[in-house]
Formats: sequence, C-alpha cells, structure tokens
Amino acid sequence: MTLSIWGVSVLLFLAGLAMVVLRRQLLAMLLGLELMINSVNIALVYTGSLWADAEALSAALLILAIAAAEVVVGLSLILKLNGAGAPVDSSGLSELKG
Amino acid sequence: MNLVPWSLWLLIASPVCAILAVFFFVRPRKPQWSHWPILGSCALVCLAATDLTSRVYAGMVLDVPVAIWMLGGDWYLPFGFRVDGLGTAVLLMVAWVGALIQVYASGYMKHDPGFSRFVLLFHLFYLAMIGLLVSNNFVQLYLFWELVGVCSYFLIGFWYQKESARRAALQAFLANRVGDFGLMLAVLLLMAMTHGNTSFSSVFRLLPAAPTEMVTLAAFLVFWAATAKSAQFPLYFWLPDAMEGPTPVSALMHAATMVTAGIFLLVRAWPLISSIELLPQLIGWVGAATAIGAGLVACAKTDLKRVLAYSTVSHLGIMAFALGFGETAPAVFHLLTHGFFKAVLFLCVGNIAHALGKASVGVDETGGLAAKMPLTFGCFTAAALSLAGLWPFAGFYSKDSILDAAFHQGGLQAAAGVAIAFLSSFYIFRMLFLSFLGPRREQRGPGHAHEGEPVLGIPVFFLSLGAVGAGWLSGPLSRLLASGWMLRTGMSPVPDWTWNGLFASQACALAGVGAAYFLTTLRPQWDWDWRRRFPRVERLLESDFGWKPTVAAFSALVVEAAGMFSRGWDTRLWDGLVESTADWAKRGGERAASLATGQLNDYLWWMLAGTTGLLYLVLR
Repeated sequence: MTLSIWGVSVLLFLAGLAMVVLRRQLLAMLLGLELMINSVNIALVYTGSLWADAEALSAALLILAIAAAEVVVGLSLILKLNGAGAPVDSSGLSELKG
Repeated sequence: MNLVPWSLWLLIASPVCAILAVFFFVRPRKPQWSHWPILGSCALVCLAATDLTSRVYAGMVLDVPVAIWMLGGDWYLPFGFRVDGLGTAVLLMVAWVGALIQVYASGYMKHDPGFSRFVLLFHLFYLAMIGLLVSNNFVQLYLFWELVGVCSYFLIGFWYQKESARRAALQAFLANRVGDFGLMLAVLLLMAMTHGNTSFSSVFRLLPAAPTEMVTLAAFLVFWAATAKSAQFPLYFWLPDAMEGPTPVSALMHAATMVTAGIFLLVRAWPLISSIELLPQLIGWVGAATAIGAGLVACAKTDLKRVLAYSTVSHLGIMAFALGFGETAPAVFHLLTHGFFKAVLFLCVGNIAHALGKASVGVDETGGLAAKMPLTFGCFTAAALSLAGLWPFAGFYSKDSILDAAFHQGGLQAAAGVAIAFLSSFYIFRMLFLSFLGPRREQRGPGHAHEGEPVLGIPVFFLSLGAVGAGWLSGPLSRLLASGWMLRTGMSPVPDWTWNGLFASQACALAGVGAAYFLTTLRPQWDWDWRRRFPRVERLLESDFGWKPTVAAFSALVVEAAGMFSRGWDTRLWDGLVESTADWAKRGGERAASLATGQLNDYLWWMLAGTTGLLYLVLR
C-alpha cells in the first residue's frame, strides 16, 4: 500500500517536472506545475493519515488553496500575453537574454 | 627650571605674545597700529639679549633641556636652550640690528596696503632667527631654520602682484629646499647616531664612536645646507633675485641675519665638520671662489640693491674662506661686523629709493645725491669704508683677521685674499661715487630728492655707529666667545698682525678705492663703454660666468627627467594595472552573460541542478 502510493506520487512528480522543464508551451508548463504540487499533496495526505496528524492534513488543505491561487495568477498571465498578441510559448519570452 | 634666567624666557615670550596680540586684536581693528606692540617686543628682546650676553660674558653657560617634544621607545626629541658665547654674540647683533631695522621698516612700509602683514611676518622671522641661535639641538635648529626660510619666501614675494617677485620667491624657496633637504638628511643621520637626542653636546661627545661613513656624510650634508642658506657657490643664485622683496627685508634677512645662519650652523657644527679630512679646505675654496666670482659680478651690476646682494654673497664667501683655515672666530667676527655695515648700506639704498619714489634704483638714475641727502651719504660712506676694510672701521678688524690668516698660508690663499680685498672696495666705491658724487645722469623723476622723515634716518645713524665701531670690540668678543666654546682651536678673533699683511690689505683696499675713483670720475665714459666694447665679457658677467643658464638648464633637465619617469610609471604600471583589471572583469562578464539565454527552460534546468545539489548536500 505505502509503496504503491509513494510510487504514484513520485511518478506524478517526475511527470510534472518533465512537463515543466521540457515543454515550451506555457499552459502545459502550468499543468506540469499543478501535477508536481498535487503529487506532493498525495504523499502528504497519505503520510499524515498514517499518524492521524491534523497538522499535515491542514497543510495539505493550505497547499490546495495556494495551488488554486497560483493557477489563477498563471492563467491570467497567459491570458494577458495572449490578449497582447505575444506568443504563449516560453521560447519567445527571452527578454532576460544577456 | 629656576636655573633659566628671566631674560631667556622674555627673549622667546615677548615676540610670541606680540605676534599673537597683533594678529588677533590689532590687525582686525587698527592695522595701521600693528607696529606698536611689535616695536615694544623688539625693545624687550634687545633688553633680554643684552642681559643674556652680559651673563655669558661673566661666565655663565647654559645648556638646558626644557621639555621632551616627542617620545617613542628609547627615542626622544628634546627641546631646550643653549646660551653660550657663540650664540649670544650673534644673538646680540641680531637683536639690535633687527630691532633698528624694524623701526626703520615701520616708517618705510607705513603707506603699503600690506603693512600689518609685513610687520607680522617680519617679526615672525625675528622670532625664528632668535630661536635658531638659542637652540641646543639639531632638530630644533632645523625647525627654526625652516621657519626663517618660509618667512624669507613670504617676504621676497611680499609684493605678490609682481610677477618677478613671485618668481624670485619661488626660486629662493626651491633653492633653499634643495639645501634644506640636505640638512634634514644630516639631522636624521645624527638622530640615528644618538637615538634622537641630537643636542650639540651629545652629538659631539658621540662623534668618535660613530661609524666614519655616517659622520662624513652628515658633515657634507651640513655643508650642503649651508651653501643654500648662506648663498655659496652651487646654490647662491637665489640671493640676488631675492632683492625683489622690500628693502628692509633685504637688509635684515638677505644681508645681516638670515643668510648668515649657514655660517652660524657651520661654526656650531664645527667639531663635526673639522673631524672630516679636507672638508674645511673644501669649504674654504668654495668660499674663496664664491667671494671672488660674486665680487667680479658685483662690479658690473647697475641696480643698487643687486650690487649689494652680490656683495653679500661675496662676504659670505669670505666667512667661508675663513672657515677653510679653521678660523671660526674671525668668521663669526666678520659675520657680526658685516651685519652692521651691510644693514646700513641697504637702508641707505632704501632711503634713496624712498627719496626718488621708486622700489628699485639703478646707478644711472642717481648721482649727485651727496648734497641733497647728507645723512644718508655720511652713513653710506662710513659703511662703505667699513666694507672695504679700511682702518679704523669695523670691517678692517674682522676682514683683516681673515686676510691675515690667508697671508700666513701664503700661495693661492694669499692671492685670493688680495683679490677679495681689492674687489670689495672697488665695487662699493664705484657705487658710492656714481650715486652720491657723480653728476646726475638722468633728470627724469623728482629732482628734489631729500632726506626722509626721522624714522628713516635715526636707525641708519645708530647702525652706522656699529658699522664704524663694532671692530674695536674684538677683545671683549674673544672673551665672550670663550665661554661655552666647543672647540679646541680658533677661539680668538684677534689675529697676530704682521706689518706685511696689514700693508697688503690696506694697499689693496686703497687701490680699489682709487680704481673706482679713476673709472667713475676721471674716465666716466669707460664705465659705460666697456659694455659695448666687450659684449662677451658683459654676457659672461651678466650670466654669473655661465652658472645661471647652467642652473636653469639643469633644473629643466631634472624636471623633465622626473616628468618622464613619473609618466612611464603612471602609464606602464598604474594604467596597466587598472586597465588589465577592467579587461579581466569585462571578458569574465561577457563569458558569464552567455549563460543567460533568456530561455525559461534553461533557467529551470539550472534551478533543478541547484536544488538537486542542495538536496544532496543536506541529505548526504
């Protein structure tokens, strides 16, 4: 049981990481970020419930809220870029090039 | 401390108080009253100097440390006074001549807009000169030595609106700097030898034990310093140009007192100097060359003050010439009488300039002044007879005691003595005949020259009493010098006269007077024609036998070489250092900039790598 849940959590985390690092499309990167956050949440909820730890569970709820807020910020940035006619692609956003 | 007599304290305290009082209270309110406290202080200084001299004459010798100025480990710099025969003999002359010239100056400079500044600087010099004479160690002497130097700089450049005055002041300062640097090195060597306590007695006590090279170097450096301050051969050239200052400055500083500080230093340090083989002889020859060279140049000058300036150089040379025989006391004796008669001559020229309403006067603008200015004429004649060394005037006694030593040596020295005796009487009487007796050459300017107010006459009169009679005091002087004399020899300025020597010196002096009379009165056109007839000789004399252009070229060379060296240092080393640092930073930055691609994913990779690294470090 423990192994399978930890395995799922790690798999999801790595998948999210790969999406963030490898994909160039901003929406996909945001999705990957959500995957990473929630994969961590899975591990947190499971481990918290093993010890019946209320603090861990409430931390999981807090992470959910933060993830939601992050999605709002991320999506509104992407919408803004889309509205300004800029590419919704990270390779085009290279103003920090030295 | 109760051993220190009141007059020694008064000697220092009264000028200090007077200067402070004038600077803080009189100058801001009534600058035209600046001279009253100063003259009061002069009177007190004369009183104190006379009292000290009479005590020393009675046998008191004082060498007291007063305070420790600096202290570091086993090194310390003491501050103290030495009152002995040598110091007080010169001190008495400086106090009285200085006081009389300050009385004169308070009349002469009365209408100058910088009157109060002049009076203050003049008195500061007076204080510094007194401090120099009563110092008991080399460091303190050096301090006052520099102070008289800086006062000289300020007063030569007193009329700073004049370009020539500024240049002369700078030249005097720099030439003295070259010499003073030597004195500084000598003092540092002596400090290394004595652990800071450079009092004359301890230096001379430690001399035999000190390493020879060090002593030799220190002695040569002391002489080098004296050549600058006392205007001897390599470094004399600043003194004639120093005549750009007001006439009382030329009289007090650049004739009677300051320039004799070098001779005073040599006599003070004589145990050091005479311990070096051949150095006294070198001093003697340098002095003889300076005396004869400057005497020849003085014969060709037309500006009255310049003639006197070259005459001063020449007479300082005579004092050095005397030192060459080890005759220290005659040198001091001549220093004293020279102080009197040269001060009179300068002040008389000041009176002429005042009467004609000019700052400087050439011989071609004067002539026939004897009838219009009888007092000035009388004083000038007395001083000129004294300078020429004719019996029974003061200069006779002092100069003859030197010439006598030269005649005893015989040979070249005797010849140099003859030349000096002839030249000094020739140039001064040429000046006297041209200015006072000859016909007036030019009628421009006020033809109604007349004596100035009493304040310009009375000090000159009293000084000329000294110029006439100071020589009669050689007996008391030798007793005065004997107390606290640090040498084994040369104590007495009284020579053992020989009839041949007396005859030779008087004949030379009279021949000089005769030649001057012949040239100026019987063949006046010769005195003007020779310049046209012998332009090469004139050029030679005008350029001080080529030494002035040599000095100018040499200084230019030194400045240029120093400039080139520092430019190379700057461009090669410092610029190179700065530029290569900047270059390194720039290329490093360019390389680092290539890492910043602007691609979000690249940054994410870096972030991943960094996080992984940190995790590894934490979990390891």
